[in-house]
Amino acid sequence: MMLEVKDVSKIYDLGNNQVIPLDNVTVTVKKGDLVSVIGPSGSGKSTLLYTIGGLLTPSRGDVVIGGTKIYELNSKSRAQFRRENLGFIFQTFELLPYLTAKENVMIPLHLAGVSSGEQEASAIDALEKVGLSKRANHKPTELSGGEQQRVAVARGIVNNPRILLADEPTGNLDQKTGTEIMKLLCDLHEEEGLTLIFVTHDPAKARLAGYVVEMLDGHIVTNSLSKC
Amino acid sequence: MRTLTLVTKNLSRRKARAIISSIGLILAISVIVSTFTVSAALQAQIGNEIDKYGPNIVVTADSQSISVPYGSVVIGNVLFSEDAISQMYEIPNKANINVISPKLYNQIQYQNQSILVIGIIPDKELELKKWWRITGSLPENDTNQILLGSAIKNGLNLQEGSSIILGNSTFLVTGSLAETGSTDDYAIFIPLHNAQALFNLEGKISEADVAALCNDCPVEDLADQIMKAVPDVRATPIKQAVETRMQAVQQTANFSLVLASIILVVGFAGITNTMLASVHERIKEIGVFMSLGADKTHLYKMFLSESVILGLVGGLVGVAVGAVASLIMGPLLINVPISLAQLPFYVIPLCIGLSVGASVAASLYPTWRASKIDPVKALKAV
Repeated sequence: MMLEVKDVSKIYDLGNNQVIPLDNVTVTVKKGDLVSVIGPSGSGKSTLLYTIGGLLTPSRGDVVIGGTKIYELNSKSRAQFRRENLGFIFQTFELLPYLTAKENVMIPLHLAGVSSGEQEASAIDALEKVGLSKRANHKPTELSGGEQQRVAVARGIVNNPRILLADEPTGNLDQKTGTEIMKLLCDLHEEEGLTLIFVTHDPAKARLAGYVVEMLDGHIVTNSLSKC
Repeated sequence: MRTLTLVTKNLSRRKARAIISSIGLILAISVIVSTFTVSAALQAQIGNEIDKYGPNIVVTADSQSISVPYGSVVIGNVLFSEDAISQMYEIPNKANINVISPKLYNQIQYQNQSILVIGIIPDKELELKKWWRITGSLPENDTNQILLGSAIKNGLNLQEGSSIILGNSTFLVTGSLAETGSTDDYAIFIPLHNAQALFNLEGKISEADVAALCNDCPVEDLADQIMKAVPDVRATPIKQAVETRMQAVQQTANFSLVLASIILVVGFAGITNTMLASVHERIKEIGVFMSLGADKTHLYKMFLSESVILGLVGGLVGVAVGAVASLIMGPLLINVPISLAQLPFYVIPLCIGLSVGASVAASLYPTWRASKIDPVKALKAV
C-alpha cells in the first residue's frame, strides 16, 4: 500500500504567534518499506507520525494511503480506516493496566467487532510472533518494560495492518532491550512484509531502516536510503 | 472480549470510586423504596384500623322525615327492623365489614328533663368508638345497666353504683364516659334489648353504624351493596376521617418523594462529577483507544455501559437498603409494622429504571466530552 504525504503543513495559531510543527512536508513510502523518522525534540517527527495515522488533521496538504485521502473521510470512516489498515506502537507502551497481555492485544479486534473466540485466537497468534504467548495472562504490571513493549507490538500487528506506526518504540527501554525490540520490528517487517514507520532519537536505530527521514523544525532535511 | 468485560474490569480497579459515585443513587432509591414501603404499610394500617376513626357508613331507615340529629349525622325518626343487621352481613363484600353497631334513639323524662337514651350493644359500640374512655365498666348485654355521658353524669349528679329509675324499670349505673365533645356526653346508654323493652319497641332500631375495612374498594360501593341487600334503608358513606388521614399519609409520601428527588439530583451531580473525573483520568486511555480505531460510538458504548452498571448497582443496593431501612425504622419511628409484601410490585423495577436512567443521563455530558477529546493531545497527556 502506497503512502503519500503531500505538502502537509500543520499550523497552530496561538494569538499573534503561529507554531508550525510540520511545514510543507512531502514523503512517499512504498509497500513494505521500513522507514525511520529522526530528528531532535520538537522537529515534528511525532506530529508527522500522528498525521500519517489519521489522528491529526493537517492544516494544508493531503495524506493518501492506498489511494484514499484519509482526511477527506469523516471521523467515523477514518477510525474504521485506522482499525483496518494501521497499527500503533507508543514509547510508553500504553497498555491498559486492568487488562491482561492477551486482552490488551484483543482491543483492536474488539473495536473491529471481531467475535470473542476469534479475538482470542488472533491475540495468542500475535503474542507468539513477539515471543510472549506464555505471558498472555499476565497484567502489564507483572511484565518487564521489554515485555510490555512486545505486548504493544503484538497489539499493533494483531489486526494485520498495512502500515505499522511506532513512536519512539525504544525510548523507554534500556539499550539491550531497545535493540531487541528493534530486531523484533525488523524481523516482522522482513517476515510479514509489513510497512513500518518508526520515530527515533537514536541515529544508530534510525540507520536500521531502509529509508531515513531526517527532520528539523517541521521540515524534512534529508531522505536517505539505508539497510535494515 | 466484550464491552462489558472491558467496563467491568475498569470499574473493578476503581471500586471505591464506583461505590462513592453510586452513594447518591443508593440514597435516593432507598428513600423512594422506604417511602413507598412505609406509606403502603400506613395506608394498610389505616385500612385495617378504620374503625378507630368511627363508622364510615351510617344505615338509617329510608325516610324523608328527619328530626333527630346525632353527631355529625342526621338520622330519620323512622325505625327499621333489627333483622337488617344479619342481612347486612350477606352483602358481596361482607368480608370487609368489621363492626356493625345498631342503635335505638329515644327520649325519656327524668326529673322533669328530657334525656336522650341510646340503646346499644355495648361491646360493638366500644369497638366502633375506640376513643371512649370509661370510668367503671361497660353495661352487660341484656341487663338493666347503664353508661352515662359525662354531662349527664354531672347534671344528674350520679355516680357508678347509683340506681336510676327510667319508666318502670330501675337501672344500675356501671360506668361513665370521659368527655368526648360529642352528643354522647348528653346521652344515657342502655343495652339495646333493654332499651327496646323500655320503649316498647322490641326488634326495632333507629340506626346502624358500620365500620367497613375497605382499603381498596370505594366505600360508596359498600353502601350500595347494603341498600340492595336490605330493603327500605339508606346507607350513607362517611369518608372524611379516613380520607383526611389518607391524605396526610399521601402528603407525607409526596414530601418524601420530593426529598428523594432532591437526593437523586445530588446523586446525578455526583455521577456527572465522577464520570468527568473518570474521563479526565482516562484521557490517555481514550487517546490510545482512538489510535487503535475507536470512534465516538465505541466511546459512548464504553462510558454509557459503565453508567448503566453504576445505575444498576446503585438501584439494586438502594432497593435493598430501602427495604431493610423500612423494616427496621418503620416499627421504631412510626410504630407501624412493615411488610415488604405491601410494596407495590412496580416499585422495584421503577426504582432500578430510575437509577439507571439517572446514571446514564448524568454520564451523557462527560461521555460527550470524551468523544470530543483530541487523540494526539490525549496521547501526550501525562
